[in-house]
Amino acid sequence: MKPRRRIAITGVGMVTPVGNDAPTTWSNLKAGRTGVGPISTFDANGFVTRIGAEVKNFSVEAAITDRNLLKFASRPTRFALAAAEEALTDAGIRPKPATARRWGLSVGAGMIGIDFAELEAVQTFCAADGEFNPDGLLDERYPADPVAFCRSQTNAGLGLLTHHFGIHGFATAVHTACASGGQALGTALKVLRRGHADFMLAGGYDSMLNPIGISGFCLLGALSTDNDSPERASRPFDATRNGFVLGEGAGFLVLEEWESAQARGAKIYAELAGDGNSLSSYRITDSHPSGDGPIQAMQQAMADAGLLPVDVDYVNAHGTSTLMNDRSECAALRAVMGSHIDRLAVSSTKSCMGHLIAAAGAVEAGVCALAIRDSIAPINANLVKPDPDCNVNIVQGQSRPLRIRSALSNSLGFGGSNSCLAFRHPEEIDLNAQPRITR
Amino acid sequence: MNSSARIAITGLGAVCGAGLTLESIWESIQAGRSAIGPLTQWNTGHCPVRHAAEVVGVKPQTLVEDRKLHKFLSRTDMFGLYAAQAAIKQSGLLGYREQLDPETVTRFNDQTGVYVGSGGGNYCCNYDFFPLMSTTEGSLQNFGRELSSSVNPMWLLTHLPNNVLCYIGIQNGFKGTNGCVTNQCVGGVQALVEAAAAIRAGEAQRVVGAGHDAPIEPETILHYHRLGLLSEDVLRPFDAGRSGTVFGEGAGAVVLESLPAAQNRQATILGEFLGSGCTSEGTGILAVRPDGDGLRRAMEQALADAGVTRDQVGLVVAHGNGTRASDASEALAIRRLFGDRPPPVTAFKWAFGHLIAASGILDVVMSLVALRARVAPGIASLHTLDPEIAPLPVSTAPQPLTKEIALVLCRGFGGMNTAVVVRASAV
Repeated sequence: MKPRRRIAITGVGMVTPVGNDAPTTWSNLKAGRTGVGPISTFDANGFVTRIGAEVKNFSVEAAITDRNLLKFASRPTRFALAAAEEALTDAGIRPKPATARRWGLSVGAGMIGIDFAELEAVQTFCAADGEFNPDGLLDERYPADPVAFCRSQTNAGLGLLTHHFGIHGFATAVHTACASGGQALGTALKVLRRGHADFMLAGGYDSMLNPIGISGFCLLGALSTDNDSPERASRPFDATRNGFVLGEGAGFLVLEEWESAQARGAKIYAELAGDGNSLSSYRITDSHPSGDGPIQAMQQAMADAGLLPVDVDYVNAHGTSTLMNDRSECAALRAVMGSHIDRLAVSSTKSCMGHLIAAAGAVEAGVCALAIRDSIAPINANLVKPDPDCNVNIVQGQSRPLRIRSALSNSLGFGGSNSCLAFRHPEEIDLNAQPRITR
Repeated sequence: MNSSARIAITGLGAVCGAGLTLESIWESIQAGRSAIGPLTQWNTGHCPVRHAAEVVGVKPQTLVEDRKLHKFLSRTDMFGLYAAQAAIKQSGLLGYREQLDPETVTRFNDQTGVYVGSGGGNYCCNYDFFPLMSTTEGSLQNFGRELSSSVNPMWLLTHLPNNVLCYIGIQNGFKGTNGCVTNQCVGGVQALVEAAAAIRAGEAQRVVGAGHDAPIEPETILHYHRLGLLSEDVLRPFDAGRSGTVFGEGAGAVVLESLPAAQNRQATILGEFLGSGCTSEGTGILAVRPDGDGLRRAMEQALADAGVTRDQVGLVVAHGNGTRASDASEALAIRRLFGDRPPPVTAFKWAFGHLIAASGILDVVMSLVALRARVAPGIASLHTLDPEIAPLPVSTAPQPLTKEIALVLCRGFGGMNTAVVVRASAV
């Protein structure tokens, strides 16, 4: 049997509420600067939650000049295009006609997105009295826009990214709510390992910061309502936490086979060493208080990467700042890590960025790569009064210098999908670089 | 990783306009009956397209036994859950699990994966906000204030694209590797691709793969129509007079197991999943390459992945969606791969419409039924093969099959192409 392929992370790109590129985002995360503020892209004053983590002063044109392409790109797809461009530039390699078929794309994409203005047009013509009547769509004044239709297709982002970057290989999109980004990277890892591609552009993108998106979460009571102190609203693991802060953005990585990355002299941030993936099968929005579900995902990721608890120095937690998630995740961490739990550093960078939903796992994977490169565990901001039920070693007060031999990143989604990714420092030896033993 | 690990198919499930069971769908295909008919879900009035292959004669709610779930599921979810449960039932997995001791049950559940391809959401889901929008008349402030008194608090959860994945898990206690693919038409079949890969990689012993969609809604129909993609009433794949596709709705599901695991529990093995290939064309959101390059590469990859030669393929189930561009490029890709002697080619969408995210996986399900019956059903709506894409061994009449392997093709928006290779076990 062939030894398993080892996979290197060679490029990182980000568009986030704390920076429109990866270096700015990373610098602000390390400093614990928050990107949360009053919602400015629409009038949110009537909503229970009026704050969010918006991407600010973003201009896709700096990265992408193809105007015709941009007509077809929704706000989250624009984030994706910019972050992917940054990741490819950073990696110093990109698809060419001769290699296009060996390049693949795996993305975590958000739910169907319709501009609110488009929905208003449908309502005006078809549901003036609230009741939908499709005849209004045939009114000649109704602005049926084929370009808007294209933008709203679930795989529009895949179509645009493969077209713009010249990718002709394996392409897929996953949506498992908040686990999407992590699962997209896990899928990319698997596609590379099984030899269906040699290079993968992989990431996630999302924006639910619009009237419908925020309504969905407001109705569930999932969002923090700390409208008067937005910078403090996202405080994972704090005893006073009261919900998550909705964010938006994109994160992309370039993944490639280890030896060929070395041979071309690429800088290698870290190894994407393992993927764990489980289903809670408990309730649609919660994981089990015992941590059942996330436990299996973490155990699988570690087994896949050949890691024992003592090898793990940092965990980028899902840490949404909701009551249930943070407790259940900490219970899972304790169950998995045993006595090592007090020696490894845990933080949720959602404390600064908010929750990027389908993009979260991808951006946080990039954060792990940068944390390993710079030997820094980023701060869990806003932690003042740790919840005794979240009894793990959280990076409090300031970011912590720490050589990270290996790191985990959790993404736990509505619907019960749990993703855990394992990363290894490039100088650490992969003891598991051999055929996998069936569990 | 053992790429030669064999994967058994032990359960199949389907629901579409042509029927609620494999048997009824197959009977309708063999009889040359199409489920395409006048739309019933709303009054189509002056709508330029008034036909589709709807699931009629049954309320979708009746497809899901657990009544408590009804308020959390949309129409498409009910199809998906129904087909998945039918496939699980046929596999006999739950009965087998009942005999295991508690510790083994835990391991069984952790090693049972679920992969689902979903349409990703409909326009209609946002219509729940219309009563609120009509009373607040453009004031977002009032919209926000009155939100919770107007819209169901569970609104978001009812429309999660990964609902079917979630509830297959909850209903059956399966807790293994999982994913929800939202890649438009190829979503369902890519879910099957990932399901098989998980078994090959040893990440799961068995996986439920499903795909579901319900694209029949006014806005979607209007947009497809304006783009010239819809036929008014008949779907005629590869026909000179073809004028577009017709929507269908429903779901397909497949239970895959590692062959040794299936043999150990003495399951009835319906067939094998042999391999897959997925490619993109980089053509943007809607276009397909006229030369069928991406599809040909997907077929080549699938055969290589399956370790099967062209000559071993006994049946090609084409995507055959009835649009001018897709059928022409697909025929070209098939001819280029197989040269002068392609095996019988058929397609199923004429019978139950185009199920978008569920289309590919439903075609896989029906291919296995066809292989087991040793017949490539005729394409009943085919009058005259388009001379521009001839020769292509498609027929209005059934064609006998002499081999047990099928190559199933699926394509979608975004320049996506997927091919899978399956084999039927002798009946």
